[in-house]
Amino acid sequence: MSDAWIIVTEEKQVAALVAAAKGLGGKITAIAVGPRALADAAAIAGPDEVKWVDAKGIPVEAYAGSVARLVAAALPKVVVASGTVEGRVLAGATAARLGAAVIPGGLKLSALGDRTVVERADLDGRVVETIEAAGPVVTFYAGDDVASEGFAAVPVEPVGTDAAADILVEKTEPAAGAGAGINQAAVVVSVGRGLKKKDDLAIVHDLANALGAEIGCSMPVADDLGWVEKERYVGRSGQHIAPQLYIAIGIRGAPQHLEGIRDAKVVVGINNDPDAPIFKFADYGIVGDLYDVIPALQAALGK
Amino acid sequence: MKTVIVYKWARNAEDAVVRNDGTVDWRNAKMTAGEDDFAALEAAKAIAEGDELIGLTIGDGDASWALARGVLQTISVTDASNLTDNASTAAIIVAAMRQIGGVDAVVIGDSEEYAGVPVALAGQLGWPAIAHVSSASAVDGRVQVVRKQGSSEQTISIAAPAVIAVSAASPEKKTPGMKEQLAARKRPVTKLTLAAIGAASDDKVSSKGTRLPETAAARIFDGDPAAAAEQLVAALRGEGVL
Ligand SMILES: Cc1cc2nc3c(=O)[nH]c(=O)nc-3n(C[C@H](O)[C@H](O)[C@H](O)COP(=O)(O)OP(=O)(O)OC[C@H]3O[C@@H](n4cnc5c(N)ncnc54)[C@H](O)[C@@H]3O)c2cc1C
Ligand SMILES: Nc1ncnc2c1ncn2[C@@H]1O[C@H](COP(=O)(O)O)[C@@H](O)[C@H]1O
Repeated sequence: MSDAWIIVTEEKQVAALVAAAKGLGGKITAIAVGPRALADAAAIAGPDEVKWVDAKGIPVEAYAGSVARLVAAALPKVVVASGTVEGRVLAGATAARLGAAVIPGGLKLSALGDRTVVERADLDGRVVETIEAAGPVVTFYAGDDVASEGFAAVPVEPVGTDAAADILVEKTEPAAGAGAGINQAAVVVSVGRGLKKKDDLAIVHDLANALGAEIGCSMPVADDLGWVEKERYVGRSGQHIAPQLYIAIGIRGAPQHLEGIRDAKVVVGINNDPDAPIFKFADYGIVGDLYDVIPALQAALGK
Repeated sequence: MKTVIVYKWARNAEDAVVRNDGTVDWRNAKMTAGEDDFAALEAAKAIAEGDELIGLTIGDGDASWALARGVLQTISVTDASNLTDNASTAAIIVAAMRQIGGVDAVVIGDSEEYAGVPVALAGQLGWPAIAHVSSASAVDGRVQVVRKQGSSEQTISIAAPAVIAVSAASPEKKTPGMKEQLAARKRPVTKLTLAAIGAASDDKVSSKGTRLPETAAARIFDGDPAAAAEQLVAALRGEGVL
């Protein structure tokens, strides 16, 4: 059994962070850095107590020193942070103060005697590695979201901070393509380099029309080939989307591409290579030539 | 600003083969620079603005990678081994930075695989950090960075000294040619050892091995395209997504 702290910078995964920390069997303290609503969300996610740092609208990273001091004073054996860009910075500062090891990709935590066991995603999620630590550990959570079980709210205690670091937001603008239809679409039909020529996009559009879907693509189709608008490419540096249905046609399933569809509900891969990585990620797949499969899908949809 | 660009040269994780028992075969993995490192170097050049720009790599780092891309001097800590604990890797970088001294900004690739290195580095230096940055520059003695956050793009200004972790948006488009490679060979590489910088290369954690994740395998339809398509459509209707 060991006590843990969780560092919360967004509402999205709070319940999952708490659930992961529960694997250790000890007391769980959440430190929420952001607006009051974030602390309130943490309070009903199941921790034993919540500390709240009011970020007052400046970048959360400016409080890294304060968070590190507050967390390290409690000498927790384990700190779990959300894997967001801000969460990581707070966790890195905390680790330095605690003299803790830093392990990205945390999925599951447990205590083994006085050691901590971290199961973490490695190689873009292709394997799970089991890691043991004798001393304190800081990990960034990389597992799935879990639904909050509706715990009774625990009290939220506002905590004072040291002077914030000198970090200022000068400008916030909508990112390129933020308004593209693909962001709100329930169904996205997405095409990759398996397509042989630009004119063949016509059959992809036909399928999309039959499904009431928006068109998406892999990065090279937009970036190198210029066949589809840049606002429509999906992935690490492109759009991050959450449709009900994502159909990846002639897309290999590179890790950078898959990062854009982590929140899609159902993923279908259509690829003539049975070993394409898309089939490891998808829920359904058709192994076949897209030039045969697309017309067949059109026909099947009409039935 | 006096800027350090930290880069790595490591086995390409995409080449690693995962066996059916969940162990990893690295035999065919080629050595490669971090995929974000070229973008980090672009940002570092912009921040340095003609002031000193120093390359720093540890372990198997190929020092010429940065030299061929216009960096005039680089430091290599040659005997650092590959560590699981990202904080220990960061500690080696910090020790090497102490040898350099007077640094205003350290720029490093924000790699997925070693997502803890830049932030542990900032923590150990006690410097502020911004991660997932796409571009950077120096403005009035401060570092200005641009980063995408969800559906918005932020321009952030941060006082030096600072750690800037950069994510690339795409693969490197133009790699150095023969002329740059030759120029790189004439540029100085300072080789340091862990003992010389007062650092240790010991992991604080131990790996107990790898296994396959417990994700459900995809339902695959193959064979006759018409039959496969009908089965898929039926399955998707069953899921309620059509
Ligand atoms: C820093 C960085 C960021 C990146 N960000 C992104 C990103 O945001 N989004 C992104 O998509 N990529 C991104 N990439 C690129 C990514 O690594 C891949 O190169 C890219 O996703 C591959 O696109 P693809 O699958 O369309 O092409 P390929 O890798 O060429 O795959 C084509 C696939 O089509 C299949 N195929 C071929 N012919 C047929 C046919 N007739 N019928 C059916 N299937 C067929 C092949 O088997 C293959 O699997 C990034 C790369 C880097 C380095
Ligand atoms: N951001 C980084 N900058 C420099 N070196 C790094 C970085 N991240 C990891 N390393 C080191 O790069 C090497 C990676 O080796 P490998 O396991 O072969 O990928 C190890 O020596 C790591 O400690």
